[in-house]
Amino acid sequence: MKRTVVLCAAVLLLAGSAVYSFGDIARPKDTPTPTKGKTVLFTSLTVKPDSNASEARLQISQSTLQSIVHEAGNLSSNESMTERLMHSSARTMMAGLFMFLAVSFAGVWFARSGQRRNHKTIAAALLIAMVFSLATVMVRANAGPPGYLRWQGLPQNLKAGKVTGGGVSIEIVPGDDSTINLIVPIRKVEKQDGE
Amino acid sequence: MERSETISLNAWSGARPSDRAEVSPRIFAAMLVVSAGLSAALASWLPLQVSITTVFLFAGPHNWFELRYFLMRLPARFGRSRNFFAVAFAGIFVLTAAYLSMPALYYTNLWSGANWPDAIATWNTLLLLWLGALVILRGRQSSRRDWFWAVPVVFTVCALNWLAPQLFSLAIVYAHPLVALWFLDRHLRRTRPGWLRSYHSCLILLPLLIVGMLWQLSRTSSLADDNGLFWRITQHAGSDLLPNVSSHMLVSLHVFLEMLHYGVWIVALPLIGATGAIWKVRTIPLARRRGGFPKLIAAILILGLFMVALLWFGFSVNYPAMRDIYFAVAMAHVLAEAPFLLRMI
Repeated sequence: MKRTVVLCAAVLLLAGSAVYSFGDIARPKDTPTPTKGKTVLFTSLTVKPDSNASEARLQISQSTLQSIVHEAGNLSSNESMTERLMHSSARTMMAGLFMFLAVSFAGVWFARSGQRRNHKTIAAALLIAMVFSLATVMVRANAGPPGYLRWQGLPQNLKAGKVTGGGVSIEIVPGDDSTINLIVPIRKVEKQDGE
Repeated sequence: MERSETISLNAWSGARPSDRAEVSPRIFAAMLVVSAGLSAALASWLPLQVSITTVFLFAGPHNWFELRYFLMRLPARFGRSRNFFAVAFAGIFVLTAAYLSMPALYYTNLWSGANWPDAIATWNTLLLLWLGALVILRGRQSSRRDWFWAVPVVFTVCALNWLAPQLFSLAIVYAHPLVALWFLDRHLRRTRPGWLRSYHSCLILLPLLIVGMLWQLSRTSSLADDNGLFWRITQHAGSDLLPNVSSHMLVSLHVFLEMLHYGVWIVALPLIGATGAIWKVRTIPLARRRGGFPKLIAAILILGLFMVALLWFGFSVNYPAMRDIYFAVAMAHVLAEAPFLLRMI
C-alpha cells in the first residue's frame, strides 16, 4: 500500500513538473489564415503610366462602380455574378425541357426515316453534337490564353511608358484595411547561367 | 408552286450573257483571294477604324442591294408558297418589332432591364421556332424532301440557347456574315457552275485566314475602349461576354466577316447578275408580270436609296447613336435572309 502511494506521488510529481516545464514554452502563434476574397466582378484593367501625374489615380466608371456596389451587397450569395448569369434555375429548366423535346422528336424522326439513311444521319447528328459540344466547352470555359499572359509585358511597358491591359477580378476582402491591393500575375523567368 | 418557282427562275435566265460581266473563273478566284486577304490584313491592323469606316460606307448600300435582291427573288405569284411567305413575313415583322422593343422599353424607363438574359433567350427561342417552321414548310413543298430532322435540331439549339442566351446572340452576330457566302454558293451553282470549283477552293482559305488571325491576335492587348463609340464596338464583338479573350481579336474577326459580307452583297452577287441590272425595275418579277406593280417597286427602291442617304447623314451627325439604331433595325435584314436562302435550297 505504502509502495503504491509513493509510486502515485512520484507520477503526480513528474506530471506536475512536466506541466510546469511546458507551461514556460511560448504559446504557439495562430497561423494566420489568408483572408480569402470574394470575386464580385470580372472586368478589364489598363495600367497607364503618366509622366505628368503627381499621384496615382484609380479610375472606375460609374456603371462599374454601381455593379461592384450591387454585387457587394449580394455577398451572402455563394455565387459570383458570372456564375449567377450562367446558372439560372429557370433557364436550366427551359434548357432541359427543350432537350427533352429534342430527344423525343429525334426518336420520332429516326422511327420515320429509313434504315439506310439512318447511318448517314446518325453520323451527321453525332458530328453536329461534337461540334456543339466542343464549341460549348470552349465558350463556357471562356477559352482563351491564360490571363497572366497579358500582364507579362507590364514591367517593360511601364519602363517604356506604354499602356498594359488585361482582365482583372474585383475581390471584396474582409477587414478594414483601407489600402487597395493590385495583384498582378507575373511569372518569374529565371535566366540560365551564361546568359 | 411550280409557276412561282418558274417565274423566279426566269428572272435568272432572263439575264442575258451581255448583261453579265465577262469575268473568267481565275480572275473571280483571284479577286476573292485578294479581297479576303486585304480585308483580314486591314481588320487585324486597325480594327476600330476599319469598323467605323466600313459600317459608315457600306452598311446602307449593302442593305439596299439586299432589298433589291429580295424583291427580285420574290415570286410574281405566291401560289403554293403562300403559307411559306405568310409565315416568313409575319416572323420578320413580329421578331423585328420585339427586338426593337427591348432597348426601346429600357431607354424609356418602362423596363428596368431585369431578366435581360431571359428576355434574350425568349426572343432567340421564337427566332429558332420560326426558322424551324420555315424549314418544315419549305420541306413540304416537295415530296422528295423529308426535313423533319429540323425539329429535333431546332429544339437542341433552343436548349443550348437557354443555357447561355447572350452567347447564343453573340454567335448570331458572327454567323450572320457567313450566310452571304452561302447565298453566293447557291447562285454560282445555278448561274455559273463553272466557277463553283474555284469558289470552293477559295472558301478553304477562309478558315485558314480566321485561324491565322486568331493565332496572331490572341495575345494582343485588349483595345482601349475609353470612349463611348469604341466601347460600343468592342461590346458588339462580345468583349464583355468573353473577358479573357482579347477584344482586339474579337473586333478584328467581326470586322473581317462584316467586310466579306458587304463584299458579297455589293460586289460579288451583282457581278454574277444575281441582282439583275440594278437600274431596270422590269427585272423584278413583281414589276414585270401582267398587272404587276412597277411603280410600287420603283418607289420602294427609291425610298431605299433615300434611306441610305439618310443613314449616311445620320452617321455624319452622330455616328455612335446612328450605329446603335442601325444595328437594331438591321435585324430585319438578318431575318429576311432566312426565307430567301431556304427558297434557294
